[in-house]
Amino acid sequence: MIDATDLTKRYAGHTAVNGLSFEVGRGEIVGFLGPNGAGKTTTMRMLTSYLPPTSGTVRIAGYDVFEDSMEARRHIGYMPENVPLYDEMRVREYLRFRGKLKGIKGGRPVRKRVGEVMELCGLTDVRRKPIAVLSKGFRQRVGLADALIHNPDLLILDEPTNGLDPNQIRQIRGLIRDLGKEHTVLLSTHILSEVEMTCDRVLIINGGKLKASGRPKDLSDDIRTAGRVIAEIKADPKLAATAIEKHVKGLRKVNATSLPGGWARVSVRTEAGVDPRETIHNIAVSERWTVRELSRKSASLEDVFVEITQDDLA
Amino acid sequence: MRTFLILFGKELRAFFYSPVAYIVLGLVMVLNGFAFNASVSFLQREASGGSLVKWTFDSPWFYLTYFAIFPLITMRLFAEERRLGTLETLLTAPVSAWQLVTSKFSAAVIFYAVLWLPSLINFFVFQYVTAGAADLPPGALIGSYTIVFAMGLFNIALGCLASSLTSNQMIAAITTLTFTIIHYLLGLFASTAKRLLPPSSEELVDYFSSVTHLQTFTSGLLDTRALVYYASLSVLFLVLTHQVVEFRRWKS
Repeated sequence: MIDATDLTKRYAGHTAVNGLSFEVGRGEIVGFLGPNGAGKTTTMRMLTSYLPPTSGTVRIAGYDVFEDSMEARRHIGYMPENVPLYDEMRVREYLRFRGKLKGIKGGRPVRKRVGEVMELCGLTDVRRKPIAVLSKGFRQRVGLADALIHNPDLLILDEPTNGLDPNQIRQIRGLIRDLGKEHTVLLSTHILSEVEMTCDRVLIINGGKLKASGRPKDLSDDIRTAGRVIAEIKADPKLAATAIEKHVKGLRKVNATSLPGGWARVSVRTEAGVDPRETIHNIAVSERWTVRELSRKSASLEDVFVEITQDDLA
Repeated sequence: MRTFLILFGKELRAFFYSPVAYIVLGLVMVLNGFAFNASVSFLQREASGGSLVKWTFDSPWFYLTYFAIFPLITMRLFAEERRLGTLETLLTAPVSAWQLVTSKFSAAVIFYAVLWLPSLINFFVFQYVTAGAADLPPGALIGSYTIVFAMGLFNIALGCLASSLTSNQMIAAITTLTFTIIHYLLGLFASTAKRLLPPSSEELVDYFSSVTHLQTFTSGLLDTRALVYYASLSVLFLVLTHQVVEFRRWKS
């Protein structure tokens, strides 16, 4: 559905997006994840033809976004960040205007379709209200209804749950999951739990580059095997740390702190695929140290995110 | 064309649904009334070669109206879309920058034309109460409204350009006002200094002086050179506006 090749956007002095390539297949719900300023909005603007890339191409449903711009735009429902709307228009009036603009025939067809999307997004009760008086949650839904109105194959949503309260977030998420059954969805967010709950696949970008791509579960599994082991040993923290450093292979980092009662808490990070628990146990046995805890922390997507995006900063 | 009509309808509604529209309409009617009154008083005092129509339009009151209208009707057009961010939703829908620019321009022109309609009432009411004794030469009427319309096209296109350059309506309004006044002053200066200039330059000065244009047209002479001048500058400003709106899409 989306086929982005080598997208680059350079502004005077800095590169917002750098050689980004990815594909999104029909029917997928893909989360676009990255810290603030990672290039998410810039990328989405290039996908929707609002900004031209400095180099690279985007094809939506087979149409080049700049060569066949109008045709590509007909396949996209886009909700920009902060949901810009005309405050002086009423909800139904606005949706009818947008529906006609996006090619729905005036009169009965547009009225019918607007009724459907208002029902779907829970806007029926506020249909006569001016957009200016709506709460943030309702504005967000009007934006979503606008994105949906021409029944596009692809929905591109820039931070759809930004600024909503937990109940509203839950509603919008439910809506997106339902939409995902019939549409392809690309949504950006920096809320990790959102991606874990709604998306089939995650693209993590940082500094304008693609850092990781995969199912949320696979990504956290990757980190898990490269994960962290916590051991609580009755020993001097420094001695314990040195002994572990000496014997564990594929070690990345050891961190030991002392706990009351002569205990040491050692946190061990290793390369992917290494499980240091047996080695640690053997060290403890040979040194005659008592072990009261030896466990692996399962990584959440948050760990993946921090791991991937912090590497660059360090 | 369909897209143009949808956008045009929305813009036109935005004009007529807003209270500002009626304030502007009221203001223009009051100023027209003063212009008309001044014209009648002038003709009462002394004999003149010009008609009632001529002295209504070729007067300081007319210029007051003229300067006030354009910033008020054009400042909102693009600046507000930019401020709200709705330019992004418009230009990611199947809408071209040309459709956007021409629809906004056309709606503003229609609104502008409507602003001048009530001024016709003055003339016809006057003719009615004087039982036809008042002289309303059709040439002067047609000429006056033609030049007012042509100058309107030019200034509205200028206002569109100013509005497309900023997200602040005040800046757009002041820019439009400034350039409308500069254009007027250039013409005024040229007409005044004409006597000092070599006769060969006279034609050049006449070409861009709005003061001369107004005098010619209100006397009932339709000068196509002036019409071509305003029409071509309007097109130029609209092309520039289009370039500004499309500017994000320029590929480096």
